[in-house]
Amino acid sequence: MAVTVVQNATCTFCGCVCDDIELHAEGDRIVKAKNACSLGEAWFLHHTAERLYPDALIDGQPASLDAAVERAAEILDRADLPLIYGLSNITSEAQREAVFLAELAGGIVDSHTSL
Amino acid sequence: MGRAMLRIQGGKVYDPVHGLDGVRRDVCVADGRIVADVSGGRVIDATGMVVLPGGVDIHTHIAGAAINFAREMIPEDHRRAVALTRTPVRRAGIGGVTPSTFATGYMYASMGWTTIFEAAVPVLTAKHTHEELRDTPIVDKGCYLLIGNNEIVMDLLEAEDYERARHVVAWLVWAAKAYGLKAVNPGGVAAWKWGQNVKGLFEPVPGYQRVTPARLIAALAQIAEDLSLPHPLHLHCNQLGLPGNFATTLETMKLLEGRRAHLAHLQFHAYGGEDWSTFRSEAPRIAEYLNDHPNLTADAGAILFGDTVTVTADGPWQYLLYQLTGHKWGNMDIENETGCGIVPYAYRERSLVNAVQWAVGLELLLLVQDPWRIFLTTDHPNGGAFWRYPEIIRLLMDADYRRERLKALSPKVLKRIVLPDIDREYTLSEIVIITSAGPARALGLSQKGHLGVGADADIVIYDEHPDPGRMFGRPRYVIKAGEVVVEDGEIQKTVSGREFIVRPAYDETIEAFLQPLFEHYYTVSFANYPVELERIHSAEVYSWEEAVRQ
Amino acid sequence: MGGKPACTLGEVKNRADLIIYWGGNPAECHPRHFTKYTLTPKGKFTPNGRKDRTMVLVDIRETPSARAADIFLQIRPGRDFEVLTALRAIIKDQPVDPERVAQTGLTLDQLRDLAGRMKRARFGVMFFGMGLTMTRGKYMNSSAILTLAAELNAFTKFIAMPMRGHGNVTGADTVLRWTTGYPFGVCFNRGYPRYNPGEFSTIDLLVRGDVDAVLVVGADPAATMPQPAIEHLKRVPTIVLDPKVSTTMRIARVGILTAATGISAGGTVYRMDEVPIPLRPALRSPYPTDEEVLRRIRQTLAARTDE
Repeated sequence: MAVTVVQNATCTFCGCVCDDIELHAEGDRIVKAKNACSLGEAWFLHHTAERLYPDALIDGQPASLDAAVERAAEILDRADLPLIYGLSNITSEAQREAVFLAELAGGIVDSHTSL
Repeated sequence: MGRAMLRIQGGKVYDPVHGLDGVRRDVCVADGRIVADVSGGRVIDATGMVVLPGGVDIHTHIAGAAINFAREMIPEDHRRAVALTRTPVRRAGIGGVTPSTFATGYMYASMGWTTIFEAAVPVLTAKHTHEELRDTPIVDKGCYLLIGNNEIVMDLLEAEDYERARHVVAWLVWAAKAYGLKAVNPGGVAAWKWGQNVKGLFEPVPGYQRVTPARLIAALAQIAEDLSLPHPLHLHCNQLGLPGNFATTLETMKLLEGRRAHLAHLQFHAYGGEDWSTFRSEAPRIAEYLNDHPNLTADAGAILFGDTVTVTADGPWQYLLYQLTGHKWGNMDIENETGCGIVPYAYRERSLVNAVQWAVGLELLLLVQDPWRIFLTTDHPNGGAFWRYPEIIRLLMDADYRRERLKALSPKVLKRIVLPDIDREYTLSEIVIITSAGPARALGLSQKGHLGVGADADIVIYDEHPDPGRMFGRPRYVIKAGEVVVEDGEIQKTVSGREFIVRPAYDETIEAFLQPLFEHYYTVSFANYPVELERIHSAEVYSWEEAVRQ
Repeated sequence: MGGKPACTLGEVKNRADLIIYWGGNPAECHPRHFTKYTLTPKGKFTPNGRKDRTMVLVDIRETPSARAADIFLQIRPGRDFEVLTALRAIIKDQPVDPERVAQTGLTLDQLRDLAGRMKRARFGVMFFGMGLTMTRGKYMNSSAILTLAAELNAFTKFIAMPMRGHGNVTGADTVLRWTTGYPFGVCFNRGYPRYNPGEFSTIDLLVRGDVDAVLVVGADPAATMPQPAIEHLKRVPTIVLDPKVSTTMRIARVGILTAATGISAGGTVYRMDEVPIPLRPALRSPYPTDEEVLRRIRQTLAARTDE
């Protein structure tokens, strides 16, 4: 299978955010993460782009993304005070969206920092 | 385009670029620009109102790592700040002296300002600045690259390789997706990396033999000219804030003879005296020099009494301010490029130094005769928050009010300032010049600061009111790119503004020179250093050959 | 008052000749901190790399990071604040009671030696970890180390910075500050941002049962949080976005699979020193990104609210 190489890739495992990683990808997995430390290498090699799960789960049952999004919006709509929590392992673009969602839902947004 | 047409009729138009001084005439808008005439569309009856081009802020700190550090340092201010409640057309936010990004856009627009320039951006964190600018709605914007303490550039000047320094600077402007060049305490911030500062303009920067602040200032002003940047070198002089610093400022201005430059927040650089106890105004001497030298423009950096937070790349000054005040201190040195310091501060009427500072800002605005060369700023938030500009406008337009305010100052202060002797009152046209037409011209933004055909339809309409502070505090309408965004002081619609970026000419092989140095001095990959153009939403790029609209 | 004297990691690489790690174990938790940013790289003013630097480790036990240190100072658990406060006194030549110093597990001589090195350094830096910030004293310890660093600037250049942990937690602080003014724990129930740690912090909210729905993204609290908090997560409708079916997703009402950050999702991440870094994902995920899913939920919610 063809190997694609990505230079200057960024590892998001720890706060060092090293951006000199050379990733070798083969199909739906990364086979090599040059320059990464042992933690970073495990991080890159552990994740794949395989379809291991359904798009979504509702009450533990496989569901479509559309249905899950609809249900999520309904839950947030009905809540008096929803909490949006986490934000560590996501991009800042996603964090921006999380804030917007909390604002719209009239809820609370919080991260690992508060722990 | 199909954007709504608009006619503003019956208002008194102030458009100094076209010599209109309160002339009653219609202003017509189509597709976001001023046009000669329209048939149909919305009509705004501006009878009893004044019609002005939208404000342009040439120097403010509203986006990026430094102001965001300041936000972190003063949660106590946020708690007492104006709260911006979410509405269907407006994001939530907080005001105060470091408004959140959404609030910044709304608050500028609700005051009638439609174009703003973030004055201090390192390349290394420029992605962050642009992300914040993206979240600053309504206004058009741009930013200046911090270059006065860039060690790669300083090393090249040490080696007397001006040519290569110029290419590096041009490459860095484009890497940062910046609009202009900014130098802060040239050499002094680099010295602060070892806990030092520079002494005077002519002693070498610590660690260098040939590079002095004077050499840096001259070279960077020349580079800005050689690169044909639309805005000249934007200079925060050495010795900011210190008694007697007017001498350094005068020397700096002399160095700049024959070259264009913009002097930032001049108020902080116009002090006499030997120490804090003999602190006094030297605004007349600074203003006199500026009056005689049309190569220079300046912004006021006026201060207003009250609480604020100081935010500047001038690391050594901020450390001194921390020692003087005993307040909180934040510091953030950026590898190879610049620094940043944060100190909360309160300007008090009873403080001799603060009272003199208050007078100096107004004195400069009143003593510089040509309004096209001095602009209204508070160096937000350093001298006071931008949303307090209407207070300054009132002080400039109303000499009786000024005298009233002077009564609150101690007689000791009055001997150290000249403000009591100044009777000048700004006309409304002159206010339009120092808040819009002048800064637009200094920025090289030909589509801003006026209401001529082809200009961006950034228009502000005020109810005429005898108190200019009240008039400017609450516009009746604000129109941005042809859209009515504010009515009766309230946001009606959120549009997103554009970002102005300059792509100066450079030899592409400069990257081969930079990369090995970069790998030695930096901790990010060279490929990940420049801001990607795709990151900028609604970029308007001025290339060295022609303006390319994206 | 103290302060927050910080710098980007390249300043440390280029200049630091004294590097102190306090309550952290970079060898195991941030393995490339030593080699890429601080201890061993050759920088502009540190041409000999490791040889130009002295490293001190302060911790309650001898972790693998001690092997990299020139000096290891083992202090008694929960005594960080006392040690930091004694150092603040010693650098200013104020008297310190040797017997009280002894209670920290260190001797006065050891502290005097450290204080001397700090003042003599050309460029000193203290990196502090959760061993300082999450133990007895907590934020008081953070305040003490930051104040010590600020005060050392009267003698030389000195920096202190936290060893921020997972992924993009620094980005969360950064984004929340620019959008709301506050770094975390922001409440919008009045329509504008309010901040009150303790009141609007996740564990307090969950343990008290203050929230009636939870959306989790970029975290797996059911694997790490105290049991009473997890019980509340089970009680209320919970929505989880995650690249895998996580422990929290298993107890959630709604789970949505998303692309993994940096692996198959692009965007920006902030390094512990707040330097923004772009991602270059190597794989193409069958799942949407967190950003896309959050946007869709928001748009769907907005449509419902408009009805």
